[in-house]
Amino acid sequence: MSTLLNISQLSWQVPNKAILHNINFTVRKGEVIGIIGPNGAGKTSLLRCITNQNNILASANVTGSVQLKNRAITRYSTKEIAQHFALVMQKNDSIFALSVQDVMKMGLLPHKTLFSLDSDHDKAQINLALKKVGLEQALHTNFNQLSGGEQQRVLIARALVQASQILILDEPTTHLDVYYQHQVLQLVNKLNITVIMTVHDLNLASLYCQRLILLNQGQLICDGSPEEVLVPKQLSQVFGLPCQKSIDEMTGAIQVSFYLPDSHGKNSQFPESPDE
Amino acid sequence: MNKVTTILWGLSALVILSAMAAITFGPADIDSAELISCLVSSCQNPIVNVIIWQVRIPRVLVALVAGMGLAIAGAILQNTTRNPLADPYLFGIVSGAGLGATIANITLADNLTIALPLAAFLGALFAVIIVVFIAKVLQRMEQLLLAGVAVSFMLASITQFILYFGEPFATNRVIFWLMGSLARVEMSNFYVIASVLVVAIITVFALHRQIDALLLGDESAASLGVDVDKLRLLMLGICAALTATIVAYCGGIGFVGLMIPHIVRQLVGVTTLKLIIGSALIGAIFLIWVDVIARSSLPHAEIPIGIITSALGSIFFLFIMYRSRAIN
Repeated sequence: MSTLLNISQLSWQVPNKAILHNINFTVRKGEVIGIIGPNGAGKTSLLRCITNQNNILASANVTGSVQLKNRAITRYSTKEIAQHFALVMQKNDSIFALSVQDVMKMGLLPHKTLFSLDSDHDKAQINLALKKVGLEQALHTNFNQLSGGEQQRVLIARALVQASQILILDEPTTHLDVYYQHQVLQLVNKLNITVIMTVHDLNLASLYCQRLILLNQGQLICDGSPEEVLVPKQLSQVFGLPCQKSIDEMTGAIQVSFYLPDSHGKNSQFPESPDE
Repeated sequence: MNKVTTILWGLSALVILSAMAAITFGPADIDSAELISCLVSSCQNPIVNVIIWQVRIPRVLVALVAGMGLAIAGAILQNTTRNPLADPYLFGIVSGAGLGATIANITLADNLTIALPLAAFLGALFAVIIVVFIAKVLQRMEQLLLAGVAVSFMLASITQFILYFGEPFATNRVIFWLMGSLARVEMSNFYVIASVLVVAIITVFALHRQIDALLLGDESAASLGVDVDKLRLLMLGICAALTATIVAYCGGIGFVGLMIPHIVRQLVGVTTLKLIIGSALIGAIFLIWVDVIARSSLPHAEIPIGIITSALGSIFFLFIMYRSRAIN
């Protein structure tokens, strides 16, 4: 598999705190990578650096490099970056009554020139992408009236129209119930493109990601397959709670659970957060 | 032809019909037969000729482009700031124009025909520059609207201070000017407003996809390759130039930019291309007819057009609030 992204010695320092510290990893074509870690570990900051949002890499606080196809990401224009990366955010609603079609058309933007109108080919692309996420009927529906899961699927379909090679998702399952969490992640898994996403739920990450990157306090703690990363001792240190590992009978995936020290009891002493 | 296209063609026809009909309204009685003969061949009556070509046509044409311009400016600002209450007036444009007009009135006794619009235009641009400067200093471009409201009040208080201590005649002139009127417009005003309008429309057509991308948030737009701050600044500049030009010739005409895009969204949708075309057409129809009311509802006097737009606008606004309450 060819290397798409190369992140080397990436650090982001603000006064008295390292948001990211000496991060190194590469992303190969077709990988589905989950970035895991506690709140404030630097997961979303890492995504921002990878896509050079607001030209963050040019800031004096950020050192190190991000290379996309062996070329520094800072040398790509914002339009070129949009042709390579598609972003799906946590929260997406509009004060205006956008239709699903309106949202989908946004995905065409990185490939369009000024003044351009939509061609028949564009419309076909939009329909095809909606079909892939199982929402072909929703073209004229009001985007705000869709459920959270459906909105995420529309945005994933928009990313398909955007025809980018890397899909970036920031907490794609946060506001979704169990059914939609699995639906969205299974969809992402089946798309056959490179995916980098931050995931809070370690068991979902284990089930749907081939590779996990564990961050804590801005540092990369471990990078590897779910078996390599989801090690109870390591997770206990990072999350500050005792941890236990098991194999799920149905899926064969590693599952982890956390518990309070002398558990079963509601009155057991809660350990201090590892950050403090 | 789909529903939206049909509506837009229908509105275009209504604009032309409204403009034709509006020419027949006024103190002098001119019927449609006489009007058509004047327009297509020549006028029998030289007085009618003067009234039609030098009074009514310029006035209707200025109403047409001013209505288009104010409505488009409102639509652009609402989409680029994602705020359905955004209006060129909230960015201090009118209070800036008011201050400019006040200073011109107090310092220059004569030559006001050129100086007043020019001073108003400069005042409006000055206001927008302050608003943008404040937003830049705060490094919060999304707070343009709040900065605009603050600057608006500041400039209005300076204007009122000057007027309070100023000469009563000059004060009167400024106050009447602020109420808005198309009574003194000329054909040259139409050309100036129309040129700015054409530039604005071409720019929006060029960037319509970028503006649409903003509708799901700045972060989403940036991920699609849009330079959000630059785009917002460019659009604000265009709206400021458009509104300042209109206000300079026509005085304060409020609520058009706020009200028209609301109606258009219900009719044709929220994305920029449809919204701009629809707003231009309905804005034109609206202002043409409001001007007809302004000049023909009282027997021997005109009502300032800004009074009518504000009255209609506020009633309309309450109606929208009532209706959305009913829906919820």
